[in-house]
Amino acid sequence: MAVRIVLAGEGGQGVQVIANILAEAAYAEGKEAVYIPNFGVEQRGGVSIAFVQIDDKRIDSPKFPKADIVVALSNRAVDRTRQYVDERTTFVYDDSLVAAAEIHEDVIGIQAVEADPRSQRQTEAVDDSKQRKTVRLPESAGTIIPLSANDIAKKELHPRVFNVMILGAVLKATGVVSVEQVKAALEARLGGKFAKNPELRDLNYRALERGMGLVEHVGVN
Amino acid sequence: MKEKPVKGERRVFMTGNEVCAWAALAADADIMFGYPITPQTDIMQYWTRLAPKYGKKFLQTEDEISAGFTTLGAVIAGKRAFSATTGPGNVLFQEPMSMAEMMRIPVVLIIPMRGGPSTATVIYSQQEVTMTAFGGNGEGFRVVYSTAGHQDLYDYTIKAFNTAWKYRFPTFVLSDGYQGKMRESLTIYDPAERGIEMVKAEPMLGLPGIPGVDRPTRHLRNTYNTEEELYEVVMQIARDFEKAAPEIVEWQDFDTDSEMDVLILAHGVVSRAAQGALPLLKNEGIKAGHFRPITLRPMPEEQMRAAAARANRVVVVESAYGQFLKLVKETLYGMDKPIDAILRPGVGITAEEIVAEIKERR
Repeated sequence: MAVRIVLAGEGGQGVQVIANILAEAAYAEGKEAVYIPNFGVEQRGGVSIAFVQIDDKRIDSPKFPKADIVVALSNRAVDRTRQYVDERTTFVYDDSLVAAAEIHEDVIGIQAVEADPRSQRQTEAVDDSKQRKTVRLPESAGTIIPLSANDIAKKELHPRVFNVMILGAVLKATGVVSVEQVKAALEARLGGKFAKNPELRDLNYRALERGMGLVEHVGVN
Repeated sequence: MKEKPVKGERRVFMTGNEVCAWAALAADADIMFGYPITPQTDIMQYWTRLAPKYGKKFLQTEDEISAGFTTLGAVIAGKRAFSATTGPGNVLFQEPMSMAEMMRIPVVLIIPMRGGPSTATVIYSQQEVTMTAFGGNGEGFRVVYSTAGHQDLYDYTIKAFNTAWKYRFPTFVLSDGYQGKMRESLTIYDPAERGIEMVKAEPMLGLPGIPGVDRPTRHLRNTYNTEEELYEVVMQIARDFEKAAPEIVEWQDFDTDSEMDVLILAHGVVSRAAQGALPLLKNEGIKAGHFRPITLRPMPEEQMRAAAARANRVVVVESAYGQFLKLVKETLYGMDKPIDAILRPGVGITAEEIVAEIKERR
């Protein structure tokens, strides 16, 4: 049975890059892989979604109804990927980017943003552009894993390797390809940059391993 | 001797649009004309990156009408020329493609279908079947290959050049936005090493010698003065097309040898979902088979009818609102066979969705 992965985030978060690396690693390992981006008419902005399937045999349709693992890296990405989640899905989100509503908005009839205690701690004037709206996580998911990859990347590593941390988390959660193969795929893609600046290689490897360390269990449901 | 772009056999992992560019190179195409439109533009981009290394050319024209006519001009001059377009671009291509039908100009056009009508989406559909097979003010004297993956894209893009130049009908490779943008594995190869000889592209005009003295005159026409004159010409094209059809048709069938509860008819990438649905349906106790026409024009009529004869009913599945269904109805005309359809215009279809629909309508 194919392992089906959905990665979604804002443009620029690098979800397409890590989806590509994952698919390349699987292909290099002798597996069948299909990677397809979901693209709209927008030149920038909008939610970027990547679909990856990895299997031992030829993969049928490039899209699929439900995923084994869904990774959502923004509030809008959570909304866009909800349809791919069922009780077998491991749902991964970045809680430093996505604010989960703590009270179900439909139940009490007030806006989720008001129900979120963080919004009530707000002392400064609310700036619409900065206001962090909350979203309802897909409750049907078999497992929900919050990561703070963005914060950790900023504090411990570098914001630019945020996506490689996410890749590490996906790798650990699915066990779908080996770490060595992913490193080889990173090398194939970034080898030129690594050669110029060997520290970049180290930074990416550390990000990969740090990401793997964020997820406890190996294997999807 | 020019260096060959593809030597031996090589396993690769790339997007479908890149596959098309490699296939055109392997087929020794000389030049591509084109105008950008998503999701076709990558074919042009890959071609422009690769082609100069092998002495090939590219021209971006001012629009698709021009891209079509310049392609035909190059073919008339003896070049193995091709283009690629989709959606509204395919609409504009219909005038040159009609001329190609009338003047028997071989040409290859690759179409990664996007959503319609009009601008619609840049993503995916199977909504260009009618236009590709029967567009323009003509009779659909065209060959249309519908591909279901990257190996198909490579194989049939190469084959399209030979079909076009051998039979002298415009030949289309139908892909779709999914296939164009997705990456999967395939084997690329040098056609010569597999015994595939490319039909020579030769000039149709400006031949050496004095016309009428050293050689017969050649007059390429798409304009006629009388009804009778036109009738003779069109009927000759029709006879040629019908004669070539049995040699051109291609298909695949899956589990269609014995009696079936249901025969799934699907083409292109949707065929992959149909193939994936068969084992799932078997688990549900439903005996299902799948027939996939690879050529939508000409249609493998005899073969589709034979498969349908062994099924209690047929279900047509497509990412359009009945374009393939119409072709199926025409093909199965006169058979006492219930025809059901799962129609999802502009939307991808999965194996699970086919299974759910078939179970529900049982």
